[in-house]
Amino acid sequence: MNPTIELNGLEVQLGGRTILHGLTGVLKSRAIGLLGPNGAGKSTLINTLLGFHSPSKGSTRVLGLDAHTSGKALRSLVGYMPENDAFISKMSGVRFVRYMAEVSGLPADQAMERAHEAFVYVGLGEARYRPVGTYSLGMKQLAKLAQAIAHGPKVLILDEPTNGMDPPARKRLIELIREIREASDICLLLSSHLLRDVEETCDEVLILRNGQIASICNLVEERRANRKFLELETIGAEASFTSTLEGLGCECAVFTNGRIKVVMPDGVEIREVFKVAADRGVQIRRMNHRRDSLEDIFLNAMEQTGAPDGRI
Amino acid sequence: MAVYKRRYNSYSGSLTAGWSRFFVLTKYAFAELFKSRFFVILLVLCIVPCLFFAGYIFVANNHTLQLLMQLRSADFFKVESQYFVFMMLSQTQAAFLLNCWVGPVLIAGDLSNGALPLFLSRPFSRADYVLGKLAVLGLLLSAVTWVPCLLLFSLQSGLAMDGWIWSHLWMVVPIVLCSAIWILMLSLLSLAVSAWVKLRIVATGVTFILFYVPTGLGEMFNVIMGSKWGMLLNFSYMFRLILVKAFREREGLVGRAWDEIPVPAAWGVLILVCLLSLVILNARLRARETVRG
Repeated sequence: MNPTIELNGLEVQLGGRTILHGLTGVLKSRAIGLLGPNGAGKSTLINTLLGFHSPSKGSTRVLGLDAHTSGKALRSLVGYMPENDAFISKMSGVRFVRYMAEVSGLPADQAMERAHEAFVYVGLGEARYRPVGTYSLGMKQLAKLAQAIAHGPKVLILDEPTNGMDPPARKRLIELIREIREASDICLLLSSHLLRDVEETCDEVLILRNGQIASICNLVEERRANRKFLELETIGAEASFTSTLEGLGCECAVFTNGRIKVVMPDGVEIREVFKVAADRGVQIRRMNHRRDSLEDIFLNAMEQTGAPDGRI
Repeated sequence: MAVYKRRYNSYSGSLTAGWSRFFVLTKYAFAELFKSRFFVILLVLCIVPCLFFAGYIFVANNHTLQLLMQLRSADFFKVESQYFVFMMLSQTQAAFLLNCWVGPVLIAGDLSNGALPLFLSRPFSRADYVLGKLAVLGLLLSAVTWVPCLLLFSLQSGLAMDGWIWSHLWMVVPIVLCSAIWILMLSLLSLAVSAWVKLRIVATGVTFILFYVPTGLGEMFNVIMGSKWGMLLNFSYMFRLILVKAFREREGLVGRAWDEIPVPAAWGVLILVCLLSLVILNARLRARETVRG
């Protein structure tokens, strides 16, 4: 089976600037999250996958199809929900979705049927005959999702799908995305800067920073490993403190302002950490005992420095 | 994904042929256009002159009626090349007005609402998109130019009999060819303006300006430089020149610069406008805009 996304030294230049720096990696899961701060290159990567931008070097494949040379074949498999407003304001919602489905190649009667189904499915059944221009921001997001799924794509690309949505609407949309993922063999690529959205819907994460891959992480495996760790805020902690903890079998990551993350191995108790701190004269001002989360993976990725091969 | 089941299902039914999908844009654009009462009135008004031209043919072929009208000269009502030149000039002006109303809304609406990425993220190219929009104007302007002209040509052929059709069959070529270049130029120009200026009213204004301001500039150029080449900026005149020459007609229909501007130059101007419009469309119709620097 082809990997969902393959990146082979992908470099993209726009307006004379290099936005993506030779990305290389393979993403095999059916639900992939694309994370990164603003300007990291998430949308550029999506646009390249859709064939909107041509790579200046390297290539990228989605389900084995080259995004540049087999763009049309690839786009026939894709449903795309863009980040920005994208609709035809004077058209009624259902007509807009039907129009998009027909452009995707569905016969008119099938397009009409599926437009109604998609609208009801996303929860806009009552508003389907209203012009899209009169919808609220959250409704427009749902209408965009409806047009992305109406033609039954094999790959669903969602660019910041929960933007501008209130918490209940966001929750409903995330549930929908999970339902779609579970109800079919559809592959999902979800770009977001909201870690929770990605954590709740995806199995694998590609983290970008400054146009480079900061991390590729399989969330399923991470969840399985389910490591315990402590978050400490300390005063007076020096290298000897962390080296003593490492001597006990802990893994330590030191951050700014005395923040330390300690991965606890089996058999080591918290009181041993207190004991080491007391011996070294370190004040522990705050302690948080928790399990590994996407936030930690993301923060770690953000704090690492870059390497010339597109991978940090 | 049936409504009552509220469950997502992928689609595995039949698909339409890839080459025919641009007609979806045409179909939806026509549906939107015909919702406008003003557009319907304008379209009807553009076709009304054809009724007068048809009446002319009827009178020209009805000697009883001519006698009743007490016409002394039998040649007063003649359906020759001049008749078709007048008809083409009248109908191409109607096409210009129709184009100014319809053209600016076709792309501007999609661009101002950011809908272009939705089209281009499907198995649908920019060429398909332009073709779909071009077909709207092509069909509409054809309906007021060469189609009625050919219908009246057929009417005249049917009424005149006595071999009129065979001696005038050559006129079919200039009717179709001249209409085609005019329709193509108008359509591409208004689509380019529509892609460049997102506001409908402004786009309509710019379309008018693009026809009349260069004409004025060309006249100024002619006066200042003592030249004739400023006429090249008068697109309507260039079309008239091509039309009259194609119908082997008299200079009186064209004006003072008759024979001063070569016909290939007139063709060149109209083709150049088409190419420039395509360049603008190519630059503006992007799924994503790239900011340089």
